[in-house]
Amino acid sequence: MRSLISIADLTNDEIEEIFLLADAAQKLRAEQPARGQIMATLFYEPSTRTRFSFESAMQRLGGSVISCSDMRSSSAVKGETLADTAKVVSAYADVLAVRHNWDGAVQAMVEHADVPVINAGDGGHEHPSQTLCDLYTLRKEKGGLKGLTVVVCGDLKNGRTIHSLVFALARFGANVVTLAANGMELPQYVIERLEREYDYALAPVAADDLNAVVTETDALYLMPKQPHQLALFTQVDQVIQARLNTLASGLRYDAFYMTRKQKERMKEGTTEGSYPTIGPEFLRQQHFKDTVVMHPLPRVDELSPELDKDRRGIYFKQAAYGVPVRMALLKFLFDRRGAKPTSASPRSRAYESPEELGPQCRNLNCVTLKEPASARKRFEVLFAGEIGTLILACAYCDHRFKVEFIGHVASKRYCAYDQAFAETTRGWLQNHQLAIFDSIKAAEEMGYEPFKSGPQRALMNEAEIKNALSAMSEQILRECRDPDRLLILGVRSAGSQLAQRIALEIETRRGRKVELGEIEIYGSGDELRRVAPAEPDAAPLTLKNREVILVDDVVHTGRTVKSALSIIFRSGRPQSVRLAVLVDRGHREVPVKPNYVGKNIPSSDQDRVRVKLRGVEQEERDQVVIYSIMTPVASSHLSIGGDEKTAVP
Amino acid sequence: MAEEKTILLERDELGRTISRMAHEIVERATTPNEVALIGIRSRGVHLARRLARRIQEIEKIAPPVGVIDVTPFRDDRAQEQDSPAIGAFEVQIAVDEKTVVLIDDVIFRGRTIRAALEAVERLGRPKRILVAVLIDRGARELPIRADIVGKNVDASDGQRVNVLLEESDGVDQVTIAHWQGRTTS
Repeated sequence: MRSLISIADLTNDEIEEIFLLADAAQKLRAEQPARGQIMATLFYEPSTRTRFSFESAMQRLGGSVISCSDMRSSSAVKGETLADTAKVVSAYADVLAVRHNWDGAVQAMVEHADVPVINAGDGGHEHPSQTLCDLYTLRKEKGGLKGLTVVVCGDLKNGRTIHSLVFALARFGANVVTLAANGMELPQYVIERLEREYDYALAPVAADDLNAVVTETDALYLMPKQPHQLALFTQVDQVIQARLNTLASGLRYDAFYMTRKQKERMKEGTTEGSYPTIGPEFLRQQHFKDTVVMHPLPRVDELSPELDKDRRGIYFKQAAYGVPVRMALLKFLFDRRGAKPTSASPRSRAYESPEELGPQCRNLNCVTLKEPASARKRFEVLFAGEIGTLILACAYCDHRFKVEFIGHVASKRYCAYDQAFAETTRGWLQNHQLAIFDSIKAAEEMGYEPFKSGPQRALMNEAEIKNALSAMSEQILRECRDPDRLLILGVRSAGSQLAQRIALEIETRRGRKVELGEIEIYGSGDELRRVAPAEPDAAPLTLKNREVILVDDVVHTGRTVKSALSIIFRSGRPQSVRLAVLVDRGHREVPVKPNYVGKNIPSSDQDRVRVKLRGVEQEERDQVVIYSIMTPVASSHLSIGGDEKTAVP
Repeated sequence: MAEEKTILLERDELGRTISRMAHEIVERATTPNEVALIGIRSRGVHLARRLARRIQEIEKIAPPVGVIDVTPFRDDRAQEQDSPAIGAFEVQIAVDEKTVVLIDDVIFRGRTIRAALEAVERLGRPKRILVAVLIDRGARELPIRADIVGKNVDASDGQRVNVLLEESDGVDQVTIAHWQGRTTS
């Protein structure tokens, strides 16, 4: 039995097979392959096109449909869980089409349903049947997908159709140009999958309007597996624009994919800022003469009404293809009811916490948080990124986040995760001995004790830390060219604390506010791996021509700083970046050099240096300590094996 | 506007400097066969090849030499129209678990090296990355250091350091040009 949660559940060949079935929709209609079958549509969110086209598709295949006009009038209001609903409705129908406002909700239903389930949109996650329609439309209009250049515009953050679409375009070898409205760039997990799985380089562009594209100045290109990946500029200056133009003039835009502002998924007050629209000017541009315009609909005001009468406006056709494509999809799934579920998806090799208080998905809209009873928290374990960070990817919503604490089940010991423990951690994972905790509190509540480490030696006390920060702040202020252009950026999370203190110190000296932001080196879905203001509701930071002070607690190999620099330069073009660290402990692996150092601490490889700050992890005072690790690595009798294939570089 | 040139390094001195840098690279590596050199186009490539020859003389093992053009990664390149190729790596080499030495003629703002780091990251995961430059002229705008330096030169913003190499310029020479009648900004 096969279900469809993500476009990743289908291979390219399978997608082609579905398209061939869709081409022969008339034949399917005559054959009535779904005769006697029932589809239940469970829509917890409003929909016109998706729901009608699913229902129409089922009926044209000879089947029938049961449905609830509004799930809010169903047992859901009485508190029925997704799990129970899935079980119950499985007895009434042969296939379920589900739309839900939580990320990962449909995956949760698949786990409890006895019939195939189709994801008709889950929160801000994915909407694979829409993607099939989009791809089918493009293929119909342009003859194929390989080598096409598709510009995706607008809300790329909340648009679930966009996420599914870019993965699919990547797989079929199309170029994707992203043109995000302000603050609505693709989420980090989407970017990382593109980079890791499809060798894409990302080029998000904050564009005020499509005028920028019309003049070909602000568009950037993602070209998989081609030598010229112009992917790393986000704020394009004039000279680089000239270079881009040269490239762009050779580029043919095949399609614009517009999206609607997803007002219902936005926070209050974040709707200002202009949004890309396609106006009459677009239609008059010679180089767009063969560019089709698509839109998943409903639209707000992104498209000029003139476009409705133009041959290039194909969004109504796109909507009409919804029925044959969904007929094909249903037929495809019915044909595979005897088949085993595919194991290619990461969901099948998931990690489950051996302890009750295990890690929690950081995506607040994830079904594992909204309704834990229906979704057993499971994650894919990844050893990822430049600094060997231990990452969990939620099996339901795909959001990724960093592991803070690890524990060893048999010995009931825990410690903060450190890249030095990667091998040990792999061994534990393989032997089902790996516990993961979000906090010390959780570990201790589960009866875990800290790994015995060597005696801790204090290197800096509260007063020394205060003096060091004060001296650094003074030096920063003295050496900066223009204090108004200062931007203090802390590396999350210890660095942000210190950045805050430095900013405060500078503010006191100057008597004026200094802008403060933070960098998440490895963020979850919402906190992109990018630069963000420290206050969640503050205006987005501009990096252009700023004097950035990057703040971290300890510099060691330098890899964290290197990642931070990559992120900074993907987000903008500062005039300078200087590095301030409380402790430099040496052992550099990349050529990074701090400009401001609180204290140089010679240390050996076995040493660990920790900056403890008041108020963080229940610390009562500021302190820098050094200790040698008799933690997991040294207690080698606990680590077994260690050469397992969980690593995804 | 007359230009006044001062010679910083002559042919022989330059040769000795490269020799010393080769020794330093060898010393920094745990084993000679973990060294991989990456020259940054264009003079960094000539230097990388010379360093590779010297290392071969010392260690009897020639390190691989990769060639990188950081133009597409640079955030401020643009005024330089002389780089036709925009691919990141022109010659790719294996970098996993290697001591990778990025080689350029001059380090200044640090932007080229940062861009090169980004390109190397896409290639794999080295054990360590070192930066070797013939001239470090200071005035960094990014927290990036050169680990192996031929010569430190204290040049002001208005001065230009020119590295001339036989392979491309017919002569081995490093000069610093002082612009007259022009204030430094």
